[in-house]
Amino acid sequence: MKNAQIKKYLLPAILGIAFMSCSDLEIEATDRIIDRSTAEGGIFNGVESVPASLDNIYNLLGPNLIGTGGYTGLQHITTDEQIVPTRGTDWGDNGLWRNLHAHTWDSSHAVVVFTWDTWNEIIFLTSEVIDPRSNASQEEVAQASFIRAFATWVIMDLFGQVPNRAPDEGPEINPVVLSRTEALASVLSDLDIAIEGLPSASAGDMDILKRGTKAAARFLKARVLLNSGVYNGTGIPISLDEVISLVDEIAAEGFALQSGYFDIFQESADTETVFWLPTNVGVLIYGSLHYSQGIGGWNGFSTLSEFYDIFEGDANSNAFGIGQEERRGFVPGINESNETNKGIGYGFLIGQQYNADGTKTKDRTGKDLVFTREYPGLIGVGEANGIRVLKYHPSINNGFVNHAIIFRYADAHLMKAEAILRSGGDATAMVNELRVLRGATPLGVVSENELLEERGRELYLELVRRTDMIRFAQFTRNWEFKDTNSIGDDTKNLYPIPSNALLTNPNLIQNPGY
Amino acid sequence: MNFLNPSDIESISILKDASATAIYGSRGANGVVIITTKNGKTGGAGVFEFSSTVGVSSVAKRFDLLDRDEFLAGIAQYGGDAEAVDFGGNTDWQDFVTRTGISENLNLSWSKNYGKGNFLATFGYGKENGIIKKTSLERISARLNWSHRFLKDKLELSFRGTMSRVNDEAFSPSQALSLAYIANPTIPASLDFVSSGILTPAEVLEYQQITGSTNRFLGNISVDYAITSELSAKLTVGYDNSKSSTVSVNSRDNLDAFGAPDRGTGRLFDLDITNNLLEAIVTYKKNFENSSLDALLGFSFQDFQRSGRNVQGWGFSTSDLNEAGEDLVNSANAIEAAISGNYQQYGLGTNDPDIFVNRLFPLGTDMISPVATSVTAIFGDTYDFTDELQSFFARLNYSINNKYLFTGTIRADGSSRFGPDNQYGFFPSGAFAWKIDEEDFIGPGVSTLKLRVSGGLTGNQEGLGFGNFVRTERYEEGRIGNGGEINIPGTQVISFVNNALKWEETLSFNVGIDFGFNIDRLTGSIDLYRKETDDLLIRVTAAQPSPRPFLFQNLDAVVLNQGIEFVLGYDFVQSDNFNLDASFNIAYNENELQDFPGQIPAGNFGGQGLSGAFVQLLTGGQPLFSYYLRPFEGFDENGQPIGDVQALVGKDALPDVTAGFSLNASYKNWNFAAYLTGQFAYSVYNATRNAFFTAGSLRSGNNVTKDVLTNGESGNAAAEVSERFLENGDYVRVQTLSLGYNVPLSGTRTFKSLQLSVIGQNLFLFTGYSGLDPEVNTAGGNFINGIPTAGIDNLAYPRPRIISFNLTAKF
Repeated sequence: MKNAQIKKYLLPAILGIAFMSCSDLEIEATDRIIDRSTAEGGIFNGVESVPASLDNIYNLLGPNLIGTGGYTGLQHITTDEQIVPTRGTDWGDNGLWRNLHAHTWDSSHAVVVFTWDTWNEIIFLTSEVIDPRSNASQEEVAQASFIRAFATWVIMDLFGQVPNRAPDEGPEINPVVLSRTEALASVLSDLDIAIEGLPSASAGDMDILKRGTKAAARFLKARVLLNSGVYNGTGIPISLDEVISLVDEIAAEGFALQSGYFDIFQESADTETVFWLPTNVGVLIYGSLHYSQGIGGWNGFSTLSEFYDIFEGDANSNAFGIGQEERRGFVPGINESNETNKGIGYGFLIGQQYNADGTKTKDRTGKDLVFTREYPGLIGVGEANGIRVLKYHPSINNGFVNHAIIFRYADAHLMKAEAILRSGGDATAMVNELRVLRGATPLGVVSENELLEERGRELYLELVRRTDMIRFAQFTRNWEFKDTNSIGDDTKNLYPIPSNALLTNPNLIQNPGY
Repeated sequence: MNFLNPSDIESISILKDASATAIYGSRGANGVVIITTKNGKTGGAGVFEFSSTVGVSSVAKRFDLLDRDEFLAGIAQYGGDAEAVDFGGNTDWQDFVTRTGISENLNLSWSKNYGKGNFLATFGYGKENGIIKKTSLERISARLNWSHRFLKDKLELSFRGTMSRVNDEAFSPSQALSLAYIANPTIPASLDFVSSGILTPAEVLEYQQITGSTNRFLGNISVDYAITSELSAKLTVGYDNSKSSTVSVNSRDNLDAFGAPDRGTGRLFDLDITNNLLEAIVTYKKNFENSSLDALLGFSFQDFQRSGRNVQGWGFSTSDLNEAGEDLVNSANAIEAAISGNYQQYGLGTNDPDIFVNRLFPLGTDMISPVATSVTAIFGDTYDFTDELQSFFARLNYSINNKYLFTGTIRADGSSRFGPDNQYGFFPSGAFAWKIDEEDFIGPGVSTLKLRVSGGLTGNQEGLGFGNFVRTERYEEGRIGNGGEINIPGTQVISFVNNALKWEETLSFNVGIDFGFNIDRLTGSIDLYRKETDDLLIRVTAAQPSPRPFLFQNLDAVVLNQGIEFVLGYDFVQSDNFNLDASFNIAYNENELQDFPGQIPAGNFGGQGLSGAFVQLLTGGQPLFSYYLRPFEGFDENGQPIGDVQALVGKDALPDVTAGFSLNASYKNWNFAAYLTGQFAYSVYNATRNAFFTAGSLRSGNNVTKDVLTNGESGNAAAEVSERFLENGDYVRVQTLSLGYNVPLSGTRTFKSLQLSVIGQNLFLFTGYSGLDPEVNTAGGNFINGIPTAGIDNLAYPRPRIISFNLTAKF
């Protein structure tokens, strides 16, 4: 080609190549589903796949119910049944755990913020599935409604207000806020849809019981109704009769009390489990164990001696077979320690601890590891202070078992007993039925005090202590290491709305006292 | 940047003001570093250059930890049983995890300028051993730069390409250091000792490793055609591809691998980044009687693709770390080969013998029959996304009498990271320069006097990430549980629709004077600048309920940076045999976050007892990275620290003053250079000291520094974040000292030149800071709120002292 021709074609060629590569700058869906219409007008077209979205929602539930902080912390550590003192520099964490037990939390507390965020997120994800544009089947809508009711109840129980966003409202819209009574109505309505659409399951159908079933939805409705007096502010539950009938409906499907307390907390089928989740229970075990026990714990979580004392048995020893009640467990000594239990006890661990071979366990500086009843305070605590509590045991697979019990029949049994008591009847027979099964002496008379204590003995560390104490108006009474200013302060029955949440949503108003 | 062979670098220049960066577009909004690689220069038969550098790196500073006797006495002092923790050895663990690192760099290049073009080819090999064991970097690289002129010099075609392979051992230095600081000095440094509880450094170095390799190719071709004497056009096409693979393995012999005793865990990260560039520029130059005009019109398009996989493995049959890594890679490949069609994830857990596959197009989960894998449980997640940038720009330069120079630039930048309404931003800038020394009223003594004024708007979208403006869904990442089980992940919406996202904009002004006297014997410049960044792209808390706790937004606040820079250089002596010149620069910068009513906690770091602790706060009216701490007023009679409420303390992590000084001297064949730097008026949070060197740590059985024994602290005291650990970071560092000798070669035909030199780096550090080095930037762990942080020293990789010997020959 001649130079002149090259000249004539080169410039247009260069410019041509340039303009042909002009792009519209639109992104391609190569590794994710992109809902392009939302970019233009904020329209929600439903979730891409309802089953996959439900799978994700159930996967989120487990870790958010069974953990060291989060909802678990807000329901346990703030009561008399659990404490996480600062041992030297361990578990100091900027006062995170001390503030929970002492009731001196504020609106920037990391556990409060985390729980607010994760449970509200679950509400949003379930709303997306329930929205008619997602075309979910009746059973799928029922599953999502069950979880939405659960999550809404969690937020309502903890915070007293629930923000609400429709799936097609973008971040520029400030969510409206439901009051506690409005949220209560929403929970009950979702549960009715759930009870109607969920499948039935018999006791022991473990595969079905890891998702919502009629029994699980009825269980949750009974719990919400029993507490509804707290939520509607009158102190009077909406319907105690319905609590009783719901529990009876659960029993009619074969759910019943089962003997062998610690056997319930295993993967095997039993008649008590109404709802369980495939999430790892190891965190509950290793949070309590000392560094030198088993494959090594984190030495954080222990209980108050005054809680330990509500069980029948010796105040200073929990050795095997000395007459304590079954639910208090035991500490294996020289004769009972073996390779299976690794020398680690069940229930309440107090006193000298032993290794699998029967020798004494030592702490990190070489002294005998003896768990003591008392603490010098919330701070400056030694590594052996405090009675440890184990519900799940590390004998199977080092405790890394993917099976956590969320609802079980003993709780329903006691809910029915309480409904009877609150209606003016006599709950003694039902409570004693449970006590005899658990190897404890029957009680003479059961009043509110005894019923709350019985729930403490049966359901310790099962996510209910705070809610129970509030219902019995005991959450603000005094117990060891509570800050004096918080005693009798009823504003503590609600957690503060996180300060960041108030900044991002002006429709939220802070709870009184914060 | 470690793919680039330093021997290929001709020059590095830095552009800071808006007008200068305007041509480089949005990615240059925070300044541009131009690295120019070498061209062939000399004529004749071409020149070979060979260079070899051997370097010795050593630890520059160590902590004064307790030795065996001091440690046992300390344990007893805090109420422990010294006999029970005496394991008979006397080990200096800091010494154990560090070493003297030897590095070697070889480079061979051939360059030739043959009139019609020039050519440069280089080949290099480098191996550097880090001062922490199991950290090293090996680089093999090659480069080809060639340009040639055709058609009577009107058409220039040039190609620049480099290929490199980097192999690295990236053992986590913070892991090695943290274990070395706390390890009991009476534990012998031998693997015969099996720990219960925390691993010894010997065990962790034996049982863990992280290795990686990266292949990279970066090249561009450009065609520059002079259509007429005034009009020319240039087209550039560029391609940059990097494939890296990193394997991190935790041995099955590691009985303390929490959750995986006798199993082993591993992770594999494959990342493939491909960037394409197309740029077309048309230039028009016209000279008039007293003035000249230079106009430019341009178009540029770039795309950035990131793809790869993240694989987790659990349950290995071998204790050999290299084999375990290979097992993980082979197992992942075996499963991927058995899957047909597109997929996002796959997994095999101990809770199901079949392999699950999660697919997106169409969306669904299916199971495939098991494939032989050498790893017991495995989970793999893949990703692949591409972003694009497209710009149209024009620039006009007009100069009058070579005295008055005017520049105007306008750009339209578009990005695929924003919604359809906000893709494009418009960024104008302008500059004026007045060469005062060309004026008649300036005498000959003033050789340079130039006044520069510039201002402009630049845009930035770098922090934003892909697809944050539209609703997207994907399978959530799965996790292998402690028993090897995997719950099949479901789908979740991962980004919120947010059409309002738009370009972050920085408005900057700059006024400067360049001066020089006595034929530029004394030169210098003074610059004043002010930059206001508006609509900062940042992750903020979302109003719940929301699919994610955070979302990206343009922050309704202004980040202000303003200051003054001063440079001065002087040639002391200029003669045939002896030359001496020096230059000094100092800058003062003020930073403030304005008009922001909120408060964002930042600056967290992990540590036993410290999760959730944060030391900085971003809030209006304060500099970024302002410290937010409890006061510390000493210890009370019980040894507890005094000071309880966190508040802003009026100090921040950004140096107000930075300075540098360099000196160059040459005498006959010898040359000498020195370079010093310093930073002043800022504070560093010594997080290492907070996490490890307290009485409580000793009482827990960990080793500490000597000062802890006598500081009056109780063994029961909690070490919360407080001003106790905030230190002044001011320092002056002798960054480089070098001495070189040009070997006289008269009469030799083979060599054209031969140079020998000795270079010392980081030789001396003058500072009151008690940690290893006050120039730090690590925080470690997850940043609270996604805010990157500055000024936190948390087990930072210690900067070594390096002495190297270099031989460079041209022949």
